[in-house]
Amino acid sequence: MSGRRIFVVITLLCLAACAPVQPWERGTLAKREMQWQPDAMEISLQAQINASKEASSGGMGAAGGGCGCN
Amino acid sequence: MPLYEHSFRAMGCPCRLRLECDDGALAQAAIAAAEAEVRRLEEKYSRYLPDSLTTRINRNAGGEPVAIDPETAGLLGFAHTLWEQSDGRFDLTAGILRRAWDFRSGKLPSQVAIDRLLPLIGWQQVQWSADTIRLPQRGMEIDFGGCVKEYASDSAAGLLADHGIRRALVDLGGDIAVSGAACRASPWPVGIRHPRARGEALAGILLAAGGLASSGDYERCLIVEGRRYGHILNPATGWPVQGLVAVSVLAEQCLVAGGSATLAMLREEGAALAWLEELGLPWLAVDTRLGVHGRLGRSVT
Amino acid sequence: MASPQADRHPALLALTSSALLLPAYQGARADAPPEFTEIGVRYSNYKEDNTQGSKTFGGSSQRYDVDAAQFHLLAPVADDWAVAVDVQWEDMSGASPWFVGQSLDGSPKVVMSGASIEDTRTEVSVTTRYFYDRGSAGLNYVHSKEDDYDSNAVAVDGSFNSGDGLTTYSAALSASFDDIKPTQGSVPTNTLKADKDIRSAWVGVSRIVSKNAIVRFGLSYTYRDGFLTDPYKLRDQRPGRREEWALGGGYRQYFMWPDGALHADYRYFNDDWGVSSHTLELAWFQNLGYATQVIPFVRYYSQDEADFFANIADTDKRYYSEDYRLSSFGAFSGGLRLRQELGNWAVTAVGERYATDESWGLYSGEESPALVDYWRWSVGLDYTFR
Repeated sequence: MSGRRIFVVITLLCLAACAPVQPWERGTLAKREMQWQPDAMEISLQAQINASKEASSGGMGAAGGGCGCN
Repeated sequence: MPLYEHSFRAMGCPCRLRLECDDGALAQAAIAAAEAEVRRLEEKYSRYLPDSLTTRINRNAGGEPVAIDPETAGLLGFAHTLWEQSDGRFDLTAGILRRAWDFRSGKLPSQVAIDRLLPLIGWQQVQWSADTIRLPQRGMEIDFGGCVKEYASDSAAGLLADHGIRRALVDLGGDIAVSGAACRASPWPVGIRHPRARGEALAGILLAAGGLASSGDYERCLIVEGRRYGHILNPATGWPVQGLVAVSVLAEQCLVAGGSATLAMLREEGAALAWLEELGLPWLAVDTRLGVHGRLGRSVT
Repeated sequence: MASPQADRHPALLALTSSALLLPAYQGARADAPPEFTEIGVRYSNYKEDNTQGSKTFGGSSQRYDVDAAQFHLLAPVADDWAVAVDVQWEDMSGASPWFVGQSLDGSPKVVMSGASIEDTRTEVSVTTRYFYDRGSAGLNYVHSKEDDYDSNAVAVDGSFNSGDGLTTYSAALSASFDDIKPTQGSVPTNTLKADKDIRSAWVGVSRIVSKNAIVRFGLSYTYRDGFLTDPYKLRDQRPGRREEWALGGGYRQYFMWPDGALHADYRYFNDDWGVSSHTLELAWFQNLGYATQVIPFVRYYSQDEADFFANIADTDKRYYSEDYRLSSFGAFSGGLRLRQELGNWAVTAVGERYATDESWGLYSGEESPALVDYWRWSVGLDYTFR
């Protein structure tokens, strides 16, 4: 991603953040499909398989325990 | 399974709780909690009670902001949504028009009396946030009457379910919410009131979940020189909306049912029927010629 | 109650959304314990493609075939407490790359561990979470046991909402104490008994940007210390410590038409072994009425090789590894998730394909002959005690 594109994205995010969302407007955000992890088992399995095949992990939480797979 | 019934008067209307439960003590505890919840909301939001939050907000009009809790902010938010969705026709500050309109007098108000009130109406003037509310002018008033009863029905029904009651019905003057999984197998029979024939049911339905709310000018309208003036007033003009006589809507929450019925009542007759059809919720409406529309509670054939 | 089409009317959506924020309605509060107990089970299988005959000595070889069963329980235990228990069993069999040798034409070819490796793993994770007015705090313990590997890990995390509830700050700390005791038999091992420790810290911030969109960023730091070498690979000697940084970003946006949500997640990873990587994941959650969700997803991953990676290791160097997982490559994966609710039940199904190639990567390097592709499928059943 070029520097200019990153700038555009950040500007858009800031613009969006300028209109505060009131508590009564957050119903949609409570929907299942708007959760960070709508399916805990699926996410944990995928993360574990990926970690056993790739050299990277982390980013959205502290590292968990190790396993013999990596 | 034994059926328990409890009637009381609150929020200016007859209230009724009905529930099925094996355990008498539990049923009594649940009934007490549900009634207490209705009374709590009445004491908090009634504009007639001198210590209510509504009275405090109204008394501080033109003065200091009044602190509010998340529940009140939520109700204001819901009222704000109704205001947005009705293009300003639902207005929490419009209640003061009743100072000019006396539906029992048989007389129309003077335009002067209405014009004097109009500057005190306008939800867009109200300064409010998640924490405080302030009515900017002395004499302005808000009135939660348009949504607290429906909210109280849902809340009381939720409390009954929290007590483990598996089949319960809360009826606060026609705003009805049911709760409990057993309602699906044994739904509650509920009648929808006829707006003109007192004591007569317009339709009967079986309520398995959610809430039913009605809005209408049940006998509360003026007929002057053959022209009907309903009690749903347009806050922009101070005069009645030439809309439907009564609307009932069924929704997942009594509050949403009530809001939908209110929004329909605020539209002109033809537009209201089209809007109800589009909305997609089950509905029933009575027009000024007492024609009945909608499929709720009526067989399709 | 309402027909599926009903939810799509903007007025109804607006009324419902604002109504559900009132305290009498559950499920709309971000920091509330779950209202109902939920349990779920999943069965998954993933099967790595056989390594092509042209890339191995000894012809095509069956790689891992893994069966995994998962159990999940989430229960409210009091007004402001919840407990989650997760159990995962895995059973794997197949061969794994042992070392890489040079073929007569000069190209590297992988030598697989001859006999099929059989291993089972059991992981138990228990989390308690306390919910306060402006966030929640969790305490988690995970125990994982294999024939040759034991791990005990603890983690704490906490979140705190800003006064307007638009911004949430989160942090987590974890520590893991792992013991390695390689199974003797099929191949000579690099150690008889060793241990490793993992320490990790994470900070994150999420923000509501509109009625329909949320964004988050996170930064994690992980320090691994101890025996980080693969015990079963013939030529593998890695540093005794590793420091990793990962910067993540996520975005969720709901679209009223066609009643669906976009999930976008990105991660940049970098460590002191010379590995860096980019990961981009996109998913679309499409609602079909109230009860059905169809979720196509794609993922792209590209990593740079570790400084000490070589297809054919130079064992005179201080550190070396032939492990394809430390080589540079790109990976595409994608699939479809389905979720169908039936009253209090929900049935889920997932199919996924994962494929790698050195030329798909953003970084250049030696292509490992041991890169792996796989198919996965999962089926599951969830129940909510309403």
